[in-house]
Amino acid sequence: MVERMAETQKDRPGAPETTHFGFRRVDSGEKAGLVRAVFDSVAGRYDLMNDLMSIGVHRLWKAALIDWLAPRAGIRLLDVAGGTGDVALRVLARVGGAEINEFSGGAITICDINETMLKAGRAKAQKRGLEGGVRYLTSDAEALAVADGCVDAYTVAFGLRNVTRLEAALGEAMRVLKPGGRFLCLEFSRVSVPLLGEIYDRYSFAVLPRIGEIVTGDAGAYRYLVESIRRFPPQDTFADMLTAAGFDLVKYRNLSGGIAALHSAWRL
Amino acid sequence: MNEETGTVDPKLLEMLVCPLTKGPLSYDAGAQELISKQAALAYPIRDGIPIMLIDEARPLDDAGGKGADEDTGQPPPPASEEADTP
Repeated sequence: MVERMAETQKDRPGAPETTHFGFRRVDSGEKAGLVRAVFDSVAGRYDLMNDLMSIGVHRLWKAALIDWLAPRAGIRLLDVAGGTGDVALRVLARVGGAEINEFSGGAITICDINETMLKAGRAKAQKRGLEGGVRYLTSDAEALAVADGCVDAYTVAFGLRNVTRLEAALGEAMRVLKPGGRFLCLEFSRVSVPLLGEIYDRYSFAVLPRIGEIVTGDAGAYRYLVESIRRFPPQDTFADMLTAAGFDLVKYRNLSGGIAALHSAWRL
Repeated sequence: MNEETGTVDPKLLEMLVCPLTKGPLSYDAGAQELISKQAALAYPIRDGIPIMLIDEARPLDDAGGKGADEDTGQPPPPASEEADTP
């Protein structure tokens, strides 16, 4: 039922360049704006929605990401599509707080293409008294405004499926990592357990947009999210893309039977 | 607090480059802009957050625009070039 054409859509010369927006096809130039509109509309309630839609499980997945990253004080981290700061604030907590991290020469930067999401994240950090430990940057994962080789770790949780050209984003991740730097991506993936797959399909197409509509008033936005999940390359394909982008030691772990997957790779 | 005054963290500035050219940026504290001379674009800083998106940047090819006192060491371009800016 789901076509697997997302990653084979190379730019053929002459052909009008289109990409996927959920299951709709749109001009490549148009997608970024559409994605931005989706997140503008849900920013204020994004965290609440994640809890409701995943029954809180996204917290375990993010904890798994931090566990695998195993950050130490002094880490220079770029959290891409980091929006409301879920990953960055967890890293800060893990390394013992902002002061220790900065004193050890580290810096944590949250990057998101969407200003509204960043401001929601900043408000959350301020509420927890953590605002000093994180820097905020509005930038596009496909054209990062970050200098070459200046971060130890590039993390992205539930962000890469929203980019228009995944290869470009992976190239940028390679570029900004220093040699020896680590790439970690948490993203929805393909369920590997048969019965769970069926239940998950029904839940995500019937139930999730309904919850989205009730909580944020925007069912369309959540339909896009569900559809975009199905268009993201499966575990092995994405691992191959990381290798093709120049990463080494590419590995992945399935989470919750493959509903999400965690990909790890190194720039050596 | 940074966020209230709208100033941007100097450590963040150190790691920023122009997203288009990956070249250096100069910080115009008065206008709250980050200027990429190579790309002729000025990226706004809003609420202390640099907005490093090409489609949000202000094109610089208007001669005599603000930020002209940047230390480029180069004279501003002649005013005749402003004809076909969109």
